[in-house]
Amino acid sequence: MSVIKRRLLQWETTLAAGAITLFLVAAATVPGFASSINLSLAAAGVSEVALMVVPLTLLIIAREIDLSVASIAGLASVSLGVMIERGVPLGLGIPAVLLIGVAAGALNGALVAWLRLPSLVVTLGTLALFRGLCYVLLGPRSVSVLPEPFTDFGISNVPGTAVPLTIVPFLVVVVIVGVMLHRTATGRRIFAIGGSPETALYSGVRVQRMTFWLFVLSGAVCAGAGIIYTARLGNARADNALGFELDAVTIVFLGGISVFGGKGTMAGVGMALVLIALVKNVLGLNQVNGDAQATVIGLLLIGSVLLNNLARSISERARGRRDARGRAAARSSPKPG
Amino acid sequence: MSDDVATPSGAGLAVDVPEQPAVSAALRSISKSFAGTPVVEDVTLEVRAGDVLALVGENGAGKSTCVKLLAGVHRPDAGHVEIAGARTELHSPLDAQHNGVAVVHQHPGLFGDLSIAENVFVGRPLRGRHGRLDHRRMERETGEWLHLLGLDRSAATRVKSLRTSEQQLVEIARALVAEARILIMDEPTAALPGHEVDALFAVVDRLRSRGVAMMFVTHRLDEVFRLADRIAVLRDGRLVASKASAELDRGAVVRLMVGRPLSDLYPVSEAGVGEVALEVENLSSPGRFEDVSMSVRSGEIVGLAGLVGSGRTEVARALFGVEPPSAGRMELDGREVELSSSADALEHGIAYVSEDRRGQSLVLDFGILANATLPALGMVARAGFVRRRDELGLIERLVSKMRLRFRDYDQPVATLSGGNQQKVVLAKWLATEPRVLILDEPTQGIDVQAKAEIHRIIVSLASEGVAVLLISSELPELLGMCDRIAVMREGHIVAEWDRDHATQELIAAAATGADDDDAGPIETGGEAPAPPTREATRGGRIGAAMADVLGRREVGLVVAILAIAIPVALANPRFLSGENLAAILTDAGLLWILVLAQMLVLITRNIDLSVGSMVGLVAYLAALTVRDHPGLPLIVVVLMGCGLGLVCGMINGATVAYGRVPAIVATLGTLSIFRGIDHLIAGNDEVSEDQVSQAWIDLTSHTLFGVGVLFYVGAAILVVAAAALRWTAAGRELFAVGSNPDGARLIGVRVDRRILQAFAVAGVLAGLVGALWASRYATIDSRAATDLELTVIASAVVGGVAIFGGWGTVAGVALGTLLLLVIENGLAFARVESLWVKAVYGIVIVAAVAIDAYLARRVEARAGAVL
Repeated sequence: MSVIKRRLLQWETTLAAGAITLFLVAAATVPGFASSINLSLAAAGVSEVALMVVPLTLLIIAREIDLSVASIAGLASVSLGVMIERGVPLGLGIPAVLLIGVAAGALNGALVAWLRLPSLVVTLGTLALFRGLCYVLLGPRSVSVLPEPFTDFGISNVPGTAVPLTIVPFLVVVVIVGVMLHRTATGRRIFAIGGSPETALYSGVRVQRMTFWLFVLSGAVCAGAGIIYTARLGNARADNALGFELDAVTIVFLGGISVFGGKGTMAGVGMALVLIALVKNVLGLNQVNGDAQATVIGLLLIGSVLLNNLARSISERARGRRDARGRAAARSSPKPG
Repeated sequence: MSDDVATPSGAGLAVDVPEQPAVSAALRSISKSFAGTPVVEDVTLEVRAGDVLALVGENGAGKSTCVKLLAGVHRPDAGHVEIAGARTELHSPLDAQHNGVAVVHQHPGLFGDLSIAENVFVGRPLRGRHGRLDHRRMERETGEWLHLLGLDRSAATRVKSLRTSEQQLVEIARALVAEARILIMDEPTAALPGHEVDALFAVVDRLRSRGVAMMFVTHRLDEVFRLADRIAVLRDGRLVASKASAELDRGAVVRLMVGRPLSDLYPVSEAGVGEVALEVENLSSPGRFEDVSMSVRSGEIVGLAGLVGSGRTEVARALFGVEPPSAGRMELDGREVELSSSADALEHGIAYVSEDRRGQSLVLDFGILANATLPALGMVARAGFVRRRDELGLIERLVSKMRLRFRDYDQPVATLSGGNQQKVVLAKWLATEPRVLILDEPTQGIDVQAKAEIHRIIVSLASEGVAVLLISSELPELLGMCDRIAVMREGHIVAEWDRDHATQELIAAAATGADDDDAGPIETGGEAPAPPTREATRGGRIGAAMADVLGRREVGLVVAILAIAIPVALANPRFLSGENLAAILTDAGLLWILVLAQMLVLITRNIDLSVGSMVGLVAYLAALTVRDHPGLPLIVVVLMGCGLGLVCGMINGATVAYGRVPAIVATLGTLSIFRGIDHLIAGNDEVSEDQVSQAWIDLTSHTLFGVGVLFYVGAAILVVAAAALRWTAAGRELFAVGSNPDGARLIGVRVDRRILQAFAVAGVLAGLVGALWASRYATIDSRAATDLELTVIASAVVGGVAIFGGWGTVAGVALGTLLLLVIENGLAFARVESLWVKAVYGIVIVAAVAIDAYLARRVEARAGAVL
């Protein structure tokens, strides 16, 4: 197996080991942790962030970023609430809201891909813009009268299991996108765009087009996340999903996706998601809430990158030795041909 | 310098050239290994005053390591460095500089966002009164050096608007100003053939007569014999010859380099030439090239010669669809085509091997196989899924045809030598089975052996019927390989010969315009400005235009502020009341300090997302302290806040600078950590107004001329910061760090320390704001100062601070902040719901960035324009 693959797998394994260890320790020491109800709640609690994380991973690999993920989700939630209030049936409302997500993503995509503006700042701007639109649409009110099947979806499990329905969209999306990323030509192109945007451009990759569609995908998926959040919470408010972008970005970086693009695995991100969900759940069970939880996650994030850097510099030194030996060997005996 | 203005051949350099050239610098029996592998073994090189030594050798022979040893980048494992006969230990590039060694690089590592003058003096700035940096004197002296070197640009021009060749001259100016006695040039002419090389060589001659010792590393043997007095040949890390150049000839040097005679340097195609595969007529792209017509038949190798900047690469890019032309026709196999992307071009069977191997031809993190199949992914994927079997099937044959030396197919290409990398690139393009192959400087920077192999491959491709367009600056290569050679100059094709009639002299003459009696600039009409002449007009004009652009940012902000203030004032005159304006200014005070803090971090190419959390944390702790320790002097509380901010800032700085955690990740983490600590300490506690001393609240409620004291505090800090950023070395170094961190490191700037300092100062400022916040807003709980990040970063971005580092002004930041505050305030007065503020902020941010991008692209376009 190649050196790169080996090193990447190291990070995923570390994450998995961390998650498993935490699970076992918590199961042993925290009462009520290992119950199916608790685990179900833990999974439900990250349903929306989980969805947001998937397209965000693709974007960060492609050397972009989308900070407006939570604002798009909020906008979706608010739009749906307003529509339901006005009597629009769910069958129309949900597709319409998804289209709003597509439009939001298209705005991001147009600004970044066609106008070539830096995505960090653009999505910072649209983060404000979309969230601002939430406040404009709904103000301080909330819409809590929602159709029963909708809210039922938000709190029920897959029949016969403890798996909450709200996490199912994520499970489906992550598998599809993960396979796309690692096994298809499109995925290879995304890595190329992140690894070297110019080379990708000169190699026939339609960089602008792909970047645009990645943002559109993000918009659509985040709108879906917003819909799910509304269902789960049972209400639509202008500050729904406020601040979720921090969690999402944290999970992606914790999952081993390089800040500079071009590297990382969906599996790693999945592991990071599980880890964070477990951490939040354990902390919650120990009466540690809100901002204090955020502290632990912040420490996890920094600690993980520091560790990763350390591991990388060690393996790079080892590889350097191996390569130098290889070069010396090649010099003394050139390949025949 | 001033007394030598009449004879501008450089003061401050050795004047007397001794009979026996003294050895200015030497490597004596130097050995160096990397990770256990010897790279240089027992090499002795002498660089003598007034003498030019050429260091030649294949890739991997150790030339670059020798340069780095003399430049202080590496330390020898055995042997030693000698400067002026004395054994010297060079611990860093700065050490080497202090010892009179200067290096000019193939790819100049300058600071794009800084001016020419700053680049020339960076690391050793001139100081005036009170230790302030004396920019005027630096610009004046730089101007004199630029004139000497023939670079007609204002010394205040930002380097990023210069072409590579001009940047190399800036590097030389820097070496001269540093009074370098030893000048080392690493592949200096790789990017400048012909005319600009002559200018460089004239400078070398001048330096030679001043007694400067010079060594240059090159692959170009013609230049070696033209310029060098002595030649040293390295092979596999050892010195195999060091002789006067008069004692050697090309053949001998090549033999020494490769160890065996290379009989046929240029293979010849056996097959004949077929139909016209590619034909272009009257191709034009304003500012790049005009009226280009040519044709390439299948099986033909057509060469395209010309100076860098003559438009050859631009034509290639147009043919490849990356930069479509604005006018003209293109036909492939007789059918007209219009290409709008490289994907289009690939579909039509055109392949382009870029001159920028590392930047445009390879994804350095990818393995050999992944790189080689990138353009051909469609061919190795079934139903979208990439099949490794198919990948190998496509590439294996090509890789062995290239005689690629590699370990395994997933080996990252970054670990290959230049020649092998180029072979991967060729394999990649051959896998697409092109009809037309455009090669742009395919053997640049590649050792002799690999060069020969690549030539062989090109010729064999032609024999198979591929139409080849070979863009090259190496005349022997063109003459040896091509059936026809065309020459471009300043965007036009000016000559064409077939192989029997072309000679080096004819080509060079056509490329430089030396053959043209009426050698004035070629007018192009339309909006493109006249081409550059040796006189100063273009430089002056660009300099003025740029000053225009830069000046415009602050002006633009003032205009924007007025654009909002005036309509609002007309709708509601109370907007302009003294009370309201005072309120805006007072609000600005604290925000200015925070935006300044963010700016310091942004300049160094980092970001601080934890500013708001720091403010909140300090605010609560300050309020808590005042409540629980009423006797404590208030100044102590404020200082305590600053101290706490310092600690937070240093945590950020250390994590980023020494932990190598990217700033966005690190400050995302500390944002949560600081807020969490705040929450942990505070719990549900709230410090309210009646619990703290009146004096504390009064601290920030004083007014002066009706405006709150906070405005003055903020303004004062801004002024101090502006002065520090302009007139202290530390301040300028922040910009250098953000503009080119690696370059900064090389010249001795303590990059990590500066980044730490930037974060630390940002932390102190945030701490100050936190303490003042607690005084101003009286009621503090753990939720204080949330959501500040957006406003702060927005103000910085709107104020013109480059999000990628290296640029920003205090004036811009002040105005940007004011603009956002005026918007918020104005919306309130215009009876617009405050709910809209956030949305409007978002639009403003996007608009500001869009304007920035547009302006930056205009500057770049002017810098890159040929015509």
